[in-house]
Amino acid sequence: MDLNFNIGGVAGQGIDTIGDLLAQLFVGACFYTHTIKSYRSRIRGGYNYTQVRVSSEPVYAPVDEIDIVIALVKEGITRQRDQLVDGGVIIFDKSIEFEDMESCHFPAPLKETAEEVGGSEKMTNVAAVGTLLSVLNFPFSMIEDALSVVFKKKGDNIIQKNIDVAKSLYEYTQKEFKSKCRHDLTDAEKGACRDWLLLNGNEGLAFGAMAAGLKWISAYPMSPSTSVFQTIMQSAQELEIGALQTEDEIAAINMAIGASYAGARTMVTTSGGGFSLMVEGLGLAAMTETPIVIYDAQRGGPSTGLPTRTEQSDLMFLLFASQGEFPRVMFAPKDPQEGFEVAIRAFNLADRFQIPALILGDQHFADSILNIEHLDVSNVEIDRGKIAPDDIEDYKRYELTEDGISPRAFPGDKGKVVVSTGNAHLEDGHVTEDPIVRKAMVEKFLKKTPQILEEMQEPRIFGPEDAKTTLMTWGSTWGAAYEAMKILSSNGMSINQLHFCDVYPLRDETLRTIFDTADQIISVEQNSTSLFAKLVRMETGLAVHHEVNKYDARPMTARWIMKQLKEAGIE
Amino acid sequence: MIEESQLSEPQEATWCIGCGNFGIRAALKQAAIKLEVPHEELVLISGIGCSGKLPHYINMNALHGLHGRPVPIATGVHLANEDLKVIVITGDGDCLGEGLGHYLHGARRNVNIAVFIHNNGVNGLTKGQYAPTAPRGYESKTSPPPVGSPMMPVLPLPLAIVNGATFVARGFAGKRKMLIDLMVQAVQHKGFAVIDILQPCVTYNHELTWKYFNSHTYSLEEEGHDPSDKTAALEKAQEGYDNLPLGLFYKAEKPLLKEGLAIPKDGKLRMKENDLQKLQEIIDRRVIQ
Ligand SMILES: Cc1ncc(C[n+]2csc(CCOP(=O)(O)OP(=O)(O)O)c2C)c(N)n1
Ligand code: SF4
Ligand SMILES: [Mg+2]
Repeated sequence: MDLNFNIGGVAGQGIDTIGDLLAQLFVGACFYTHTIKSYRSRIRGGYNYTQVRVSSEPVYAPVDEIDIVIALVKEGITRQRDQLVDGGVIIFDKSIEFEDMESCHFPAPLKETAEEVGGSEKMTNVAAVGTLLSVLNFPFSMIEDALSVVFKKKGDNIIQKNIDVAKSLYEYTQKEFKSKCRHDLTDAEKGACRDWLLLNGNEGLAFGAMAAGLKWISAYPMSPSTSVFQTIMQSAQELEIGALQTEDEIAAINMAIGASYAGARTMVTTSGGGFSLMVEGLGLAAMTETPIVIYDAQRGGPSTGLPTRTEQSDLMFLLFASQGEFPRVMFAPKDPQEGFEVAIRAFNLADRFQIPALILGDQHFADSILNIEHLDVSNVEIDRGKIAPDDIEDYKRYELTEDGISPRAFPGDKGKVVVSTGNAHLEDGHVTEDPIVRKAMVEKFLKKTPQILEEMQEPRIFGPEDAKTTLMTWGSTWGAAYEAMKILSSNGMSINQLHFCDVYPLRDETLRTIFDTADQIISVEQNSTSLFAKLVRMETGLAVHHEVNKYDARPMTARWIMKQLKEAGIE
Repeated sequence: MIEESQLSEPQEATWCIGCGNFGIRAALKQAAIKLEVPHEELVLISGIGCSGKLPHYINMNALHGLHGRPVPIATGVHLANEDLKVIVITGDGDCLGEGLGHYLHGARRNVNIAVFIHNNGVNGLTKGQYAPTAPRGYESKTSPPPVGSPMMPVLPLPLAIVNGATFVARGFAGKRKMLIDLMVQAVQHKGFAVIDILQPCVTYNHELTWKYFNSHTYSLEEEGHDPSDKTAALEKAQEGYDNLPLGLFYKAEKPLLKEGLAIPKDGKLRMKENDLQKLQEIIDRRVIQ
């Protein structure tokens, strides 16, 4: 079973709640889900949709074909009907005037029942869920259980009303919707049911950061990064995390640098525009060797661009941001689970090498919701790097050492004076323009990169190692490319996928092997100029054979990728 | 608790002979001693400018950061370890040009730091262009005659009072005793404390000189000004270069920024980790049943 539901409405109609509710219901019944949110940068009005893909097998990306549309406004019907599969269903509120009816169209009294049975128009979303599940012949008892869990906090009365509304439409639909476009999930095959979390990428990242010992976060809201900051904010009291919304991103990064200088693990979160403002601070963190984790949730650029849409176009910007040369690490997690893991690694590497660690997400990573296995924080390893012993005499913050890494100390440490500066400095942190010292300090930086490289992970190969064709991806486009690779592979094509999470510094062993074994390497990126393929070429001299680019700021699907390949004659 | 020898200059100062910064440094040394706090608990956060170099000429913990950004950096240092006495060393260009927004937000947050503005009316380090505090008509390489500076100066002290700062004062590099006293009070004060320090730049500012300040300033205390009177403070703080009041304009007690944040009870984020059991509970609440 692999079904795709599209819930369309205008902002303010609670289509998110329907999506969340559906995902929770199906996950509760041990199905796999993948939810995307397509929304505009506005608070009220404007057609938005949430799309929930439900499957008995793990799913990693959205699909183009829709099985059932729930339309709360007319646009939900008109905009999505082209994507409907044969026999696809459109459920819409009776009040919507729509003449061009087909047999699988089903006008239902959603609002009316919500008001009459539930006493509030707000329950329209539960009404829609009741109708949809009835069309699927999904056992009502399961819905009842799920609603009890979802509305637990709101009390028995509300739970009962929601159940009544859902039931009323469930029964109405059983009676009135006589068409053959029904599905039968009475005994749909279930996935292996485990402790499942429904998380988006930003939440996975936020939990990882908290597990890693984040103690300070300062940020200024910017889509699509904000939910990282908000998720941490919500747990700040319980975990005693210092968190502050600042006047701007410049203040955010400088505050974080101050807190890190004084010994706290710190992170800032933003999107491209905010990162632009942070760039001078990035250089200060680098020059003062103050660890910091920076999260950039990419969106369509340049400038304000597309605040709520997806793109992978900040890669080179982050790689080269700031004047001067210094070591940095960059990660691009593909999904919530990897977001969690990458956050922990980023904090550890930032501390060990006293460098900025940059995490690139994008709107697709940030907002897509997947069910992942339980996150266990009990085994998290925290590495704060070299810390100066208590009894050291004549402490020097930038002592020249064999490996280029000087032990850290913090203001307040007895018997030590800790001096840091963004100016070129001596070992003791005081300014100098001496050419010999300058050279030594630059070499101190240079020594770090090979050590960092050892900690970076090789890209992963999915599919057969010796395939003739390789799809090369990074970050959130993994899912769609993975599914495309799987389909093509099962159709008999010799194809695999080479996927990067650690994007800089770049490990090239596996990359070189793939370039040796495969006949053609195809980069698949959510941008127009194949930035990652450029990075690979810059670092290794290896050039891909073909580039696939999506730059309409909407996430990829397997079908879209396959179409591009076909058009390019790659089969 | 601090001996003068502990503060001795790590590097020889590169300021021009006769520069007001020397007087400020001398006052800061005496204030540090008078504060009777452990040496390791003092931290200087400076911006970029002649003023910003001060941490290299006095031996203390320091972060000499970016132009305009010492207030947010200091805020982060303070919130990560509230035992520290965090002092911002900033120029008028640094604090009131590049960093004016942070200054106002620092004031309204009433974050517990002390901000010492080295006010010389010029961008000293970049060789004498007019700074935000230069009077209208002030002539410099970037504000040539006949008009000179074509705008009114920023008034740091009324801005601080209006925006929520709780200790607002003016000192003069040439009145050492008063300046030491104000510095000690500012650091001890719980809240956002500002001292606008008149600092003659002997090389570039030929209007606001030692002589000028000596003859165009007067003491608020001698006038009987009451620092708890906000209206009077605001009025006094707006008096211009003709005759500048010195001393404490305004002092009040207001809630501190850190009281509104989830900082651990001991006031320290330094080397702390999160309670993983609690975090696991937070995550477990999200598990779908
Ligand atoms: C972002 C940035 N812009 C410009 C400069 C160049 N710059 C260095 S110091 C300075 C002005 C300093 O004036 P002020 O803050 O009044 O300090 P003073 O030298 O007078 O003590 C400027 C513009 C810089 N360092 N950084
Ligand atoms: S230029 Fe002015 S402010 Fe700078 S050191 Fe010389 S006298 Fe002092
Ligand atoms: Mg100045």
